Amino acid sequence: MDFLSNLALGFSVALTPFNLVMAFAGVIVGILIGALPGIGPPSGVALLLPLTFGMEPTSGIIMLAALYAGSMYGGTITAVLINTPGESASVVTCLDGYQMALQGRAGAALGIAAAGSFVAGTCGVVLLMLVSPALARWSLSFGPPETFALMLLGLTTVTLLTGDNALKGYISMVLGLMLAMVGFDIIAGDARYAFGVPELMDGVDFLPVAIGLFGLGEVLAGAEEAAGARMVQGRVTVREVMPAAADWVRSRWAIARGTVLGFLVGLLPGAGPTVASFLAYTVEKKVSRRPQDFGKGAVEGVAGPESANNAAATAAMVPMLTLGIPGSATTAIMLGGLMMWGLRPGPLLFEKNPQFVWGLIASQYIANVMLLILSTAFIPLFVRALRLRYTILMPLIIVFCITGAYSLKNSLWDVGQMLVFGVIGYAMKKLGYSPAALVLALVLGPLAERALRQSLIISDAGLGIFFLRPISAVLTVAALVAIAVPVVRAVVAAWRNRAGGLAA
Amino acid sequence: MRRADRIAGAGLLALAIAFSAGALKYYTYTGPGGPGSAFLPFWLGVVMAALALMLLAGALRAPDPGPGWLPRGEGLRRLLLVLGVTVAFVALLPVVGMILGTALFLIVLLRLLDRSPWPLALAVAAATAGLNYLVFTYWLRVPFPTGVLGI
Repeated sequence: MDFLSNLALGFSVALTPFNLVMAFAGVIVGILIGALPGIGPPSGVALLLPLTFGMEPTSGIIMLAALYAGSMYGGTITAVLINTPGESASVVTCLDGYQMALQGRAGAALGIAAAGSFVAGTCGVVLLMLVSPALARWSLSFGPPETFALMLLGLTTVTLLTGDNALKGYISMVLGLMLAMVGFDIIAGDARYAFGVPELMDGVDFLPVAIGLFGLGEVLAGAEEAAGARMVQGRVTVREVMPAAADWVRSRWAIARGTVLGFLVGLLPGAGPTVASFLAYTVEKKVSRRPQDFGKGAVEGVAGPESANNAAATAAMVPMLTLGIPGSATTAIMLGGLMMWGLRPGPLLFEKNPQFVWGLIASQYIANVMLLILSTAFIPLFVRALRLRYTILMPLIIVFCITGAYSLKNSLWDVGQMLVFGVIGYAMKKLGYSPAALVLALVLGPLAERALRQSLIISDAGLGIFFLRPISAVLTVAALVAIAVPVVRAVVAAWRNRAGGLAA
Repeated sequence: MRRADRIAGAGLLALAIAFSAGALKYYTYTGPGGPGSAFLPFWLGVVMAALALMLLAGALRAPDPGPGWLPRGEGLRRLLLVLGVTVAFVALLPVVGMILGTALFLIVLLRLLDRSPWPLALAVAAATAGLNYLVFTYWLRVPFPTGVLGI
């Protein structure tokens, strides 16, 4: 079978000592980054990306993918122990995980989450392996209109799903697209909005922007709040991490449902682990025979969402690798990395760079095993690391942001750009805008513009071309629906308000 | 929040108008065989202007000022401290160099932010600067600004 020989090739790449070390480092750093409040998976990937430029791209992506998987679990630790999600995909875990901790069952909550993450992550890779080549082959038939429609759909869904204010989400997205216009135009050759500054002629590099928005911006927001408290008190022992038999029985179907749901949600452009975990929690509560237990320490409320977020993080790689369309800020940054390594994501990646794709897939199996071992045997160590004071962590993250931004191109311009976007990121966070939508738009902007203009060049019907071809018509209509949803919702709300005002 | 939305709305509207006008003035709307380099920027400006107007309209009609968001008191002090020391670090990088700068930055921030004891501040600074040198300068050969001391 074709697939087994591909997988064998993948393992031969992933099992080299250097790549094993990279996967291991990725998982450890990922758990820490996921656990530490104020630094999440997008900033983790953005900060480590410069480190990978000296390596083989395969080793680089192995480390970043392992980091992403690890961070999904890391966020759970703080969610359970201190009721503070380390990253957004663990927000719902707080609901029941922290209640379990209050009942003295923190270890069981973490253990079930680890088991669920392992099952979901491994099944996710199996599905990734089965789905990606087929999807890649199918997408070979995509022309510029389909590509543009897909990007439009990705952008609108991210905007719809990441923020709590749709208008501010769209403002963030359009701002990102406007930033993407800066620099040499690929077709006409104009240096747009560069004002004669050489650094701007090459365009606004998304990495300093991402490091600023997600790294420095978060730290600044944290600086305002955090007093000198330690982040975590107390300890967890290895024995406590083993869930009781009753917990297993209650959780097995939650893990299975979370895996399937998470994978499906993760496949959609724009919907990542965070959405998956929220949906999984809702589903568990609906199907449970004891819905009244939810919010009071129901183990299914931890198992479902934690499985879903790991499955979704794996699934999110599928559109990134096969179509070149990232579904979240984290995969957007990985996509940027791919392009910086000189690889072109999309259908041809599977044919031209099999050792890269299959090495990544095989390494995901290995990373999941490492994650299981680290998250059970070494949990007490991670919990101890979290006892670090936030005031010590904060300056360290800033140093990392500055070194990371500088080492991209050895330029102080990038450091300055990172600082500016750090301040912008702080303001966006405080005012309810969506940094994730901005970064995604900045990465997709040039690709989307090229696809749009090529579509219009080959079109006889102007913008009608997006509705005349079947696949692009479906995708375009879906994107337009996504745009219409918040507008309709706002109109309905305004109408109700008026009606309510008259009645009162 | 209402005031912040008004300011942001006005600012974004101005930006959008300048963006679209600039596109039409300096770049070509129709290129050979299709849309030119001004096409997408122009329409992005139009969309942004519409969004900014919606934000403004909502903020002007909002009945109450909404929750405040500007930091004050202790929070403001800490925010300005972190930001100020960070900007100073970056501005002084070419003079002090990355490795020494990292150490100084950490000592200053740890002492001022948290009154960390001297031994702790010095240990964290030395360890980070050392690791920074090892990984970035020695291993990855990143040519950091070296500053007057040459490291």
